[in-house]
Amino acid sequence: MTMGGFAGNVLYVDLTHGEIKQEPLDTALAEKYIGGLGLTVKLAYDTIKPGTDALSPDNPIILGAGPLVGTDLPGTSRVFAVSKFPTSNTIGWCGGGGINFGYLLKNAGYDHVVIEGRADRPVFLKIFDSEVEICDASHLWGYGMEETCEALWEEFGRPMGVISIGQSGENLVKFSMAFIERLSTLGRGGFGAVMGSKNLKAVVVKGTQGIKVADRKRYKTLSRSILQRIRDYPLLKEIQDLGLVKSFPQLPVDVYKKVKKRRLACVSCPISDKDVVEIVDGEFKGLVRCSTSAVNLSMAMIYGFKDYRESFKCMSLLDEYGLDMFEFFGIMGFAKTLSHNGIIPKDQLETEINLGSLDSMKTWARMISFREGLGNILADGFNGVTEEFGEEAKRYAPTLVKGMHPYAGPGSAVPWDLYGTMELGQVLDPRGPHVGASGSPTYFARRPLDVFPGHLDRMGAPREAIERILPGLSNRDQEQELKVGRLLKYSHRWFTIMGSLGICARAQINRFYSASLCAELYETVTGIKTDLKGLNQRVDRVWTLFRMANLREGLDREFETAPEQWFQKPGFKDYLTEKPLTSQESEQMIEDYFNEWGWDSKTGIPISDELERLGLTDL
Amino acid sequence: MGKYQIHVSTENCTGCLRCQLSCSELYTKTFNPSQAMIVVDVWGADCSIRFTDECNECGVCVDQCFYDALQKTKREGDK
Repeated sequence: MTMGGFAGNVLYVDLTHGEIKQEPLDTALAEKYIGGLGLTVKLAYDTIKPGTDALSPDNPIILGAGPLVGTDLPGTSRVFAVSKFPTSNTIGWCGGGGINFGYLLKNAGYDHVVIEGRADRPVFLKIFDSEVEICDASHLWGYGMEETCEALWEEFGRPMGVISIGQSGENLVKFSMAFIERLSTLGRGGFGAVMGSKNLKAVVVKGTQGIKVADRKRYKTLSRSILQRIRDYPLLKEIQDLGLVKSFPQLPVDVYKKVKKRRLACVSCPISDKDVVEIVDGEFKGLVRCSTSAVNLSMAMIYGFKDYRESFKCMSLLDEYGLDMFEFFGIMGFAKTLSHNGIIPKDQLETEINLGSLDSMKTWARMISFREGLGNILADGFNGVTEEFGEEAKRYAPTLVKGMHPYAGPGSAVPWDLYGTMELGQVLDPRGPHVGASGSPTYFARRPLDVFPGHLDRMGAPREAIERILPGLSNRDQEQELKVGRLLKYSHRWFTIMGSLGICARAQINRFYSASLCAELYETVTGIKTDLKGLNQRVDRVWTLFRMANLREGLDREFETAPEQWFQKPGFKDYLTEKPLTSQESEQMIEDYFNEWGWDSKTGIPISDELERLGLTDL
Repeated sequence: MGKYQIHVSTENCTGCLRCQLSCSELYTKTFNPSQAMIVVDVWGADCSIRFTDECNECGVCVDQCFYDALQKTKREGDK
């Protein structure tokens, strides 16, 4: 078998000196770190100098797409970026449905791109097969995120993968994001600002070289089996029809059907979740919007918007500026409280803060994105506001995790109150609160425990680990328990398997994969010999290296403690018993998580035996 | 003229490119949508689907479409 799956090269771009070079992918590294997220983490570890400021030229951006990206295995489009993030000041991953970007990057001949330095003028990076160029972007500077994408398509045509930022990224707003082809978000925690700090408006890519698999015959057998299971899935048509509205019915189905214009999918995905909608009546009649989902467009209603059309308009503006909606509404709520209590003087409020008003939010989104007036302070996020207004402001700060507003939990946008892996994971993912890495059966409220073993087996947890996660499961006389901290290890591991291969982590897709199937697919596509044990060892290496990268940055135990507000009334509840959770119980879960990884239970520092097992002793 | 007549419903297309991936792999043994004989372009609400002159209407693209954007019927005379 020949090595398949990989494009075979890493592209290095130095924006400061305008230098571009390509190097062959180190196949030994690929074998050790799988690819995709795994290799992106490794390249980041090797490239980021400890203590680098997130918005300095020294902070690199590493992009990557895994070895399954570019094949037709379902949902294999994932694109990752790793960099140091300005909000959390940690090294974080960000990943999104790759739309066309991932497959085109691979078809251009690159598995990864390492972008360093800072251009002396606005630029975009153009990667068209072997023709790579740092291009002037002065005509795009000041454009919104989608406007930039459309302008680049107009200039160069499609198919072309585009990662672009809006005005908030240009102006280094700490909670700005980048978007992939104006649909997938990339970078809660300030990835947009990292691109902006490099004067990098966009990355565009076209590729025509193709991706081969090592063992075509075995590939066809495996692929056919997965696709048949998807075709046989009883909910397939309903999910295809409703997208994320099926799982998050905050937007009524009848409204969704009224506005739906088209469903959009990332390359290879048979279960699309992206939307094109059109408002068909009212003041915004005729507004057509492409979005990561109609559910996202209705998110302003969580914060007080009454009319879905106004919510669509508001969220469209936030997307266009490139603002993270959770942080935007969180910071506006904080500013309102500070103003109400006289900490922000009235004369600094150019306009009233009303979280339920489109006019008010439009004004503040603009002021933050362009750093006008008080918006200049709000643009620096919660830490920036408390630095400006002092200790008294801290008293009124909302619940924060790693300097960010957690998306789930008491006082947060999503008021889930059971403490499962998604909730605990907000504290234990080094990048801070994000929905991506911590999925597990606890994603669904109060699932019966007897469905857990099958799910955990699919995620690749060994039998002995399942017994640690669910003590008492096989003994009906013993009290049933669920060790959420231990379970979280396997959430992170499962996420790392999928991310490193390039498979979408969404439940709608990952339900058709298992860890053992992933090991088979890795071997079939790449030709690299492996089994489940070997794959698990590689992902343990990746996530442990990710931790080591952050420990090197000074990540300490205090930074990984759940906020006290989570345990005050009304606080989080135990997933199983629904009794109010205590901070001590949460701390025990964190120790369990460290212990399950083979890290020191108290400090979270990987122990030497584990580093030796993973071949990381040279760190 | 190929074995099948292929019917296109652009309104159902999501731009997943499963058709282009499968076509290119069948004929070039490489997943390379730029070599496919079906060409899909979805941008926002709009969509175009066309076939190159080389397309022999084998129908592999239809088999890979999960959204009913492509359908096929056997041409008369074919069994």
